[in-house]
Amino acid sequence: MKREVLVNGETVRIQIEGGRLRYDRDGITPVTAEYSVQELEPGWFAVRIGTHMYRVMLGAKGEVAVNGRTLRMEVFDPRDLRAAGRRAANQGRQEVLSPMPGKVIRVLAAVGDMVELGQGLVVVEAMKMQNEMKSPKAGRVAEVRTKADATVSAGDVLVVIE
Amino acid sequence: MFGKVLVANRGEIAVRLVRGLREQGIASVAVYSDADRSSLAVALADEAAYLGPSPSSESYLRIDKLLDAAQRHGAEAIHPGYGFLSENAEFADACRDAGIIFIGPSGDAIRQLGSKTGARKIAIGAGAPVVPGTEAALRDGAEAKIAAGKLGYPVLLKASAGGGGKGMRRVDREEDLEGALRDASSEALRAFRNGDVYVEKLVLQPRHIEIQVLGDQHGHMIHLGERECSIQRRHQKVIEECPAPILGQFPELRMRMGDAAVRVAKAAGYTNAGTVEFLVDADGNFYFLEMNTRLQVEHPVTELVTGIDLVEWQLRIAAGERLTIQQEDVRWLGSAIECRVYAEDPEQGYMPSPGKIVHLREPSGPGIRLDSGVYEGWTVPMEYDPLLAKLCAWASTREGAARRLGRALAEYSLTGVRTNLGLFREILVDSEFLAGRLSTSFLDEFFGRRQTGPLSAEAEAAAALVLTLGQKRGSDEAQRPVGNVASRWLADGRDGVTR
Repeated sequence: MKREVLVNGETVRIQIEGGRLRYDRDGITPVTAEYSVQELEPGWFAVRIGTHMYRVMLGAKGEVAVNGRTLRMEVFDPRDLRAAGRRAANQGRQEVLSPMPGKVIRVLAAVGDMVELGQGLVVVEAMKMQNEMKSPKAGRVAEVRTKADATVSAGDVLVVIE
Repeated sequence: MFGKVLVANRGEIAVRLVRGLREQGIASVAVYSDADRSSLAVALADEAAYLGPSPSSESYLRIDKLLDAAQRHGAEAIHPGYGFLSENAEFADACRDAGIIFIGPSGDAIRQLGSKTGARKIAIGAGAPVVPGTEAALRDGAEAKIAAGKLGYPVLLKASAGGGGKGMRRVDREEDLEGALRDASSEALRAFRNGDVYVEKLVLQPRHIEIQVLGDQHGHMIHLGERECSIQRRHQKVIEECPAPILGQFPELRMRMGDAAVRVAKAAGYTNAGTVEFLVDADGNFYFLEMNTRLQVEHPVTELVTGIDLVEWQLRIAAGERLTIQQEDVRWLGSAIECRVYAEDPEQGYMPSPGKIVHLREPSGPGIRLDSGVYEGWTVPMEYDPLLAKLCAWASTREGAARRLGRALAEYSLTGVRTNLGLFREILVDSEFLAGRLSTSFLDEFFGRRQTGPLSAEAEAAAALVLTLGQKRGSDEAQRPVGNVASRWLADGRDGVTR
């Protein structure tokens, strides 16, 4: 079985065949190993890759945690054309979402700006606290989908970085 | 002793109190708002009383509703926990007037210590050192300039009624003073409906160390040593420990600060459990900061090293019993460290992250204490403080406690909402933390020097493997997870979690 995995905005190929796995990302040596997976509790897995154990927990949509660290990860079937389109659209792009309802105080970036990892993009006030939404990666601001004084809901896309 | 007690709080502290009450054979009444209808505290309590809509102003802050609930359920006493009405003198008075015992100090003691300038006066009177500064609120910019000039810059402007960092401004130069005074005053006015601001000398690289006191209604008071709470974000503590690492350098600090704390508390006519906060500079000088007239969030740290159950003693003291522990009976054994697990994203400026806890696996094992207020499937409401749980480790040494806490953090898995668990895992192996070099600017400095290694490709592959197999829906190409017929894993796959 071959799938493509979009992990933190980057596409990786995964192949699973007869108890062996190949995880192939550009620029690094592919991981090829025998594996086993046990679901110990609903949503909580002990995964063996070769001789190493990892603890994997399913998260909210598009998120998974491994050894407690959360990754944004989605799996696509490369034969699925709709998914391929979505993946292509998402390739290398990362959306900065509002994690909760609030009000936009300031927008700190404009379309076309080059931003650094961790650079502030939008200031949102929620729960009486002002929070700076930071860039998840270095790149170019592709879209700004909000403006000052706008009211935002949880999950609203504020900015898109590519 | 009481037969039934109402817990006027929510979250992990309500769970802690319900547990403490059950251990004493006392029936518990939990209260809840709409958002907390299915909370863990309600589920664990003996009785439950509905307060009202989710905003705390319509539920947990409503004195009338709480007293009504206590009377309807026949509770003889109310434990306020921390936050909400715990330091509200009117609530303590209203309880007394309704014939219900408020588990805490008297309304008068709360009132006296509640104002920062009032508390300063009491501390000075009791001979406790205070940070040099003005005792009264500043009238205007001109007065502020004279006062700040005498103290020497940098200075700190603080709200008289303040707390939690609101109405607080650091000022490094005289030309910035007037603007900062205006900002601090208007922020204080918004937050506390009181715009009074005073000025203090800024203690550089301070440690925040507090002393736990415990006093009965018969004039006997002791201290239970210190808690170091220097690691803070937004002026809120995130990691606390006992002993304070600086005791290695200045072992006499515990008793000196303890004596000062007892003097301050006695001078205010304080009873029950309370905490006296101090700033400690690099030379071991300490300055009275304020007194918290309630049980602290971080009280488990003291319970672990002294073996004294603070909630048990709060109940016994409120019931009129004598505190039978003498100062010389108090022993401190080993080291305890606590971290506060918040639903927040440290990578996004500690943005709160309410929502549904999709999966949860809590740690346990030797030397671990977990005071948690949540369970898998519960939705963390957006209306309240995002504290989920407090994870504590005890060991015979600080190094051991840090290793143990790190081990427990590695076992702690929570998905669905963002948490600061990952940040704690990094801090627990940070060389500055392990060396005990702490100050209130620790976290800012930590973010400056931290290097997060990328996750190994193999770990990433493990996550991708689980998602891929989950998506597969019963094809026989890969092995099924062992022994799970009705797997939520596959259900999640169908629901599109893995898409």
